[in-house]
Amino acid sequence: MSLLGAGVRRDMEIRRYPVLVYALVSLASLVLQAWLPRIVGRYDWFDLPLVVTIYFALGRRSPIQGTIMGAGMGLFEDALSHHAIGVNGIAKTVVGFLAASVGIRIEVENPFIRLLLTFTLSLLSSTLYFFTYRFLLGLAIDWNWLTELFRAVGNSLIAVVLFSMLDRLQVRE
Amino acid sequence: METFFARYRNLVVLAAILLAQIAGLAVQVRHNRSGRNTLDTSDPSGVRLIRLWGNAIVSPPEQLIHWSKIAMESAWTDYLDLRHVRDQNQHLEKTVERLRLEQAALLEDARQGQRLQAMLGFQEKYIYSTVAAQVYGSSGSDRSHVFYIDKGSADGLKPDMAVIAANGIVGKVRDVFPHTAQVLAVNDPTSGAGVILETTRIRGILKGDAEGRMEVVGIMADERIKPGEKVLTAGGDLVFPRGLPVGVVEKVVRDPDRDAFIDILVNPAAHLDRLDEVLVITSMQPRFSPEEQQDIAVSATQEGQVPTAIKDQMKAAEIMAEKLPGLVDPNLPADQQPLNDSSNPNPATAPPQPLHPDAFSPPGAATTATPATDSGQAPNPQTTSPAVPAAAQGKGGKSQTAKSPQPHSAPRRNR
Repeated sequence: MSLLGAGVRRDMEIRRYPVLVYALVSLASLVLQAWLPRIVGRYDWFDLPLVVTIYFALGRRSPIQGTIMGAGMGLFEDALSHHAIGVNGIAKTVVGFLAASVGIRIEVENPFIRLLLTFTLSLLSSTLYFFTYRFLLGLAIDWNWLTELFRAVGNSLIAVVLFSMLDRLQVRE
Repeated sequence: METFFARYRNLVVLAAILLAQIAGLAVQVRHNRSGRNTLDTSDPSGVRLIRLWGNAIVSPPEQLIHWSKIAMESAWTDYLDLRHVRDQNQHLEKTVERLRLEQAALLEDARQGQRLQAMLGFQEKYIYSTVAAQVYGSSGSDRSHVFYIDKGSADGLKPDMAVIAANGIVGKVRDVFPHTAQVLAVNDPTSGAGVILETTRIRGILKGDAEGRMEVVGIMADERIKPGEKVLTAGGDLVFPRGLPVGVVEKVVRDPDRDAFIDILVNPAAHLDRLDEVLVITSMQPRFSPEEQQDIAVSATQEGQVPTAIKDQMKAAEIMAEKLPGLVDPNLPADQQPLNDSSNPNPATAPPQPLHPDAFSPPGAATTATPATDSGQAPNPQTTSPAVPAAAQGKGGKSQTAKSPQPHSAPRRNR
């Protein structure tokens, strides 16, 4: 893990993607997230919108863009559920911001780093979701941390594969 | 100031977006009377708009994927994987012929059964109007057990309509969009349905837990509840009709919060994870075909004829009772009593009087008794009965004769 100066990395390694890629990848992640659980049943231990948020935030290295993207993805996920709109939004907003902030400072090309980062940010997202729901809103919620752990592992494994696929879509200058 | 925003613009944007979402959350939560916060089930207009947008953007591609999958599956099963189809076809044709004959016989029984059940007031058990729908997507989160169907308000769907599958109940309609609808599954922690155990008739509330399992909560500990017992809808929640299968008892566990109570884990009858087609109950009002309506009308007419026939019979009995001679009618004056009515062609006969009265004989019976004639003819009641001479001769014996036969005559008059 190589630590670089924030300004240097931001200037040298900002990844750019066509706007269509942002739109289609985000939409595909939302659609697949809604559709795949019907195929895999109860083993839906993944959160594709979260993985995509982390990927673009790490690649763009812009906390503002990561924040906005995380908020958008989270709000869409909330809109498809029957829970309050904003719970996922808050969790993914923070995750997008942190992922972009971390991406400025550390090397994120290494698959192991990506796996570790995704695992950590997934657990953070689950924790934020729980605290927002349980303590900020004061609502009763049944929670199983083991499921969240499985989800973090699932996200990490998906991230390793998906990140390398999405890397090919970036604009090479 | 400009420098501050320039320096901390990332944090400022983060804080602004978080605050906006927290403010949005605040309007969706209500503080109820019991002091607990609950989610407002009736979405504010802004929230509903976001849900509508989310659904409008995600649903079309999701439906496209779903229909593509179905098309590929049907292409495989209908065109590519057709081995042994000819043999199967011949076998099925024979089966169809046999089933047609059976169906003809069963149809009559079914019509009769439906007619009788309708008349017996079991209509609430039957579902008379449903809309078939395809399940094409879910919420995408195991924290929210909802799924989407391809029918909406344009097809007559409304919130809180029950959704069932072939095996059992599935959930209820939560949010309705023009051409799609969101269904809250029965295994979601926020859902609830009134259920009853089939054998023990114990009632409870069905809800889901964090793992998506179904459990019946709020039940007093009862040793009669055994795994394998069927769980049915109780019909009291105004959503599900009574008697629909919910599942079977899987396990009985202690309520972790209350000692005297138990929770019953229920194995769902419907495959909630793999739903393809569901039925939305749009109306529980009876809706019969014209032929069935005619049958019911005929049955109702026949039902009405039964009391009429009974009334006619009763009327005839009354007429007969009036025509039959009675000994004493309490409503008539003494001089018009049947015993004294000379116009009656069949006058009532007084009980025969003993020739040798003893202690068990009616009082005064022997005073005026007259032995029968030697010719063997029955004595004339007007001459042998003490009442007749008494009535003809004076008032002295009248009260005695009126009283003595009364216990025998009363049942006859009341018939």
